[in-house]
Amino acid sequence: MRPKIYFTLRTLFISLITLLVALFVLYLISFIIFNLRASGVWFLPKFGFSAMGIFFKSLPWLLILIAIVLIIVLELLVKHFRFAYRRPVLYSILGIIILTILGSFLIGRANLHPNLFWKARQGKLYMVGGFYRGFGAPKLPNVHRGIVTEIIDKGFYLETPRGEILTIVVASNNIEKSDRVVILGKRDNGIVRAFKIRRINQPMTW
Amino acid sequence: MPKLKRQLTDEQVVRMVQSGKVESFGILVKRYQAKMLRYARKFLFNYHDIEDLVQEVFIKAYTNIQSFDASRKFSSWLYRIAHNQFINAIKKKGKEAVPFFDLDILLPRSISKENADKNINQRELRQILNKCLEKLDIKYREPLVLYYFEELSYKEITDVLHIPMATVGIRLKRGKEIMKNLYEKY
Repeated sequence: MRPKIYFTLRTLFISLITLLVALFVLYLISFIIFNLRASGVWFLPKFGFSAMGIFFKSLPWLLILIAIVLIIVLELLVKHFRFAYRRPVLYSILGIIILTILGSFLIGRANLHPNLFWKARQGKLYMVGGFYRGFGAPKLPNVHRGIVTEIIDKGFYLETPRGEILTIVVASNNIEKSDRVVILGKRDNGIVRAFKIRRINQPMTW
Repeated sequence: MPKLKRQLTDEQVVRMVQSGKVESFGILVKRYQAKMLRYARKFLFNYHDIEDLVQEVFIKAYTNIQSFDASRKFSSWLYRIAHNQFINAIKKKGKEAVPFFDLDILLPRSISKENADKNINQRELRQILNKCLEKLDIKYREPLVLYYFEELSYKEITDVLHIPMATVGIRLKRGKEIMKNLYEKY
């Protein structure tokens, strides 16, 4: 006969793993939201149907895939508990998704990821610094987000969250210095020929 | 003393075993051996080691008895161990496919009322079941066995199979329909 402590520890272990996976899912989904906002992809639906192709192409699919796998793992862990297996899988999956998205938005409001991203840019973030520099505000070929630093004849200069200065070439616009914008247009050696521009109200801290 | 033992509930006996009176486990074996053998015979077909499998169920129950929460029902717990043991035996032999995931546990459904078919003669139904069970898919066979032979409630079957209560109702309903078709064919 196995002692009671064995089962107590096992239950604690499963609960702990469930909690850790749940926290990691929260972290990852909030990071995906940060990634989308920082890259400008988050704002693409505002450009209308024509931008949807770029929107889907620019999604961080690897991170989304990892989040989906983790949600499935979390569902399998939660199914050990009576409150979960007595109800349809759809309920527990929806519960997990709703809770993680709500939790992620709360984390987003706390500016955790922007702060870590800035630290990573300054080289002050160890362990996950590379992750933030690589995935934090990805450089996309067709979508650019940033703040207008100077108006020039053929367009304006844009500073991206990564600290790059892009030359935006545009025929006519009513953009002013310090505007925060999202631009659609192909990048070529630091020059972007913009075919769509949208002002956004979000501050650069996302 | 034997009279007193008969009066004790399963959960009280489990508490005795948990507190160190391990010989009391014999009471539980006596109470459930026939039931477990019947469950195994109805659920598993063409298995020659049914007695060994049932013995294994009791060994596992004894080994893990400290994990049992005596505020819950012992029978559901024991049937759950038996279910796992039998499913493992089926997987090991590879005679039948055991579905990993089934769509009927995914979506919410209205729970069909328990005992809605009381007008059907239970004995007659059991006779039909005896003739057709072997031809039924595992996912329908097991709830039918647990409900009609072991006389477990929907809630207990939910705890044994770890599927939603509405799914138990759906599987029983579909199982009976399939069984009816099979019976009419033969």
